[in-house]
Amino acid sequence: MILGLFDQFFSPYFLGVPLLAIAIAAPWVLFPKPSNRVIHGRSLTAQNSFILNFTKQILLPLNVGAHKWALLLTVLMINLITLNLLGLLPYTFTPTTQLPLNMGFAIPLWMATVVIGLRNQPTIALGHLLPEGTPTPLIPVLIIIETISLFVRPFALGVRLTANLAAGHLLIQLLSSATLFLIDQMWPVAILTGLVMALLTLLELAVAAIQAYVFVLLLSLYLQE
Amino acid sequence: MLSRVIAVSASGLKSTAPLGAGLVQASRSLHTSSPSLAPVPALPEGGKVRHGIVPEEFFQLLYPKTGATGPYMLGTGLSVWLLSKELYVINHETVAALTVGTVFILAVKKFGPSFASAMDKMEEEKTAWIEDVKDQAMACYADAIEEEKKEQWRVEGRSMLFDAKRNNVSMLLETNYRERLNHANHEVKRRLDYQLALQHLKVRMEKEHMVNWVEKNVVGSITAQQEQESIAKCISDLNVLAKNIQAKATA
Repeated sequence: MILGLFDQFFSPYFLGVPLLAIAIAAPWVLFPKPSNRVIHGRSLTAQNSFILNFTKQILLPLNVGAHKWALLLTVLMINLITLNLLGLLPYTFTPTTQLPLNMGFAIPLWMATVVIGLRNQPTIALGHLLPEGTPTPLIPVLIIIETISLFVRPFALGVRLTANLAAGHLLIQLLSSATLFLIDQMWPVAILTGLVMALLTLLELAVAAIQAYVFVLLLSLYLQE
Repeated sequence: MLSRVIAVSASGLKSTAPLGAGLVQASRSLHTSSPSLAPVPALPEGGKVRHGIVPEEFFQLLYPKTGATGPYMLGTGLSVWLLSKELYVINHETVAALTVGTVFILAVKKFGPSFASAMDKMEEEKTAWIEDVKDQAMACYADAIEEEKKEQWRVEGRSMLFDAKRNNVSMLLETNYRERLNHANHEVKRRLDYQLALQHLKVRMEKEHMVNWVEKNVVGSITAQQEQESIAKCISDLNVLAKNIQAKATA
């Protein structure tokens, strides 16, 4: 089967059955559930310690009212990391390269932070629209700019994630194709392979993309609550 | 036979009011092993794998028929067949797969042991903490036992203390009693002495009075003539005595 360059971005079908749900649910399968034992095996220990440390880090700058979001944010982080890391394997479909999925993550969560902020403390939430210490003539312009930036946030979140991952995957594809094509002429192959490897290591920057995502989400949360 | 089990569990279900407990009771009749969880069985050791992926059982499975190189031949032949029949086409994903594989294997080889030892250390720290709690509790109890023994020894000595105190008190009482007895004696003697002195005085005064009366009467009864006679007699006696003494002196 000859793979086109964008075949990896089509959601998989098997005998006419869309496998998108399985692809999205893949992280759920991979993580062992916490057991009753005091002493766990190594993978469970690693998982537990990672989740614990991550939650502590995320909740550090937040006040107590925002701690209700702990579960949601941790789950989001783990889900996205796993989806992205699994997508690095060959012939896998990464759901997070699809813009609709990422917008589906971004818009509801962003809107939740804005609505909660407006409902609980509307004046402070609206006050975020004007940073402190602006000179008086600039105020109207600045309010407009801040409002626009507020409404652009969900798009920024979603598109950032999509673009990072899609671009990364595309680069991998392109460089691998180039390597394959250049095997006939031996020399640049080694260099290109090295570059692909380096890119891959950088692409475990998929992890960083998650950090970016969750952190920005966190930021809006922090600001609103 | 199973219907009986189900009937028993159904009656168990009906007899217990909350549904959850009833379900637990129902399934308990189907348990075969003991319900106790302690001691917790040890975690199973990871299954043996060769080359990190293929389990050892696969090699053992093929060993009787094909010997030691059997699985390797199978792997080689399978992959060559897939490639030759173009069932697996080498495309850009292959390169990607090779690269990802290399990176992953290098990462595992490099960070594997340190990661594993870090995890083990975390678990050991947790175990050590729990054991420390247990040890401290045990030390507390041992100390409590020592204290209790000391208290029991003290209680044994307490009866001696009571005896000593009792002796003390009775001695005090005795002393007090004797003192008071002494005092009472003293007072009684004083009063008796007074009475005695009084009587002595009375007797002496009677005697003196009588003597005085007798003297007075005798002196009153002496007439003048008797007085002259007695004086003359005294003088003659004296002369005689004087003559005698002179005679004795010159003799």
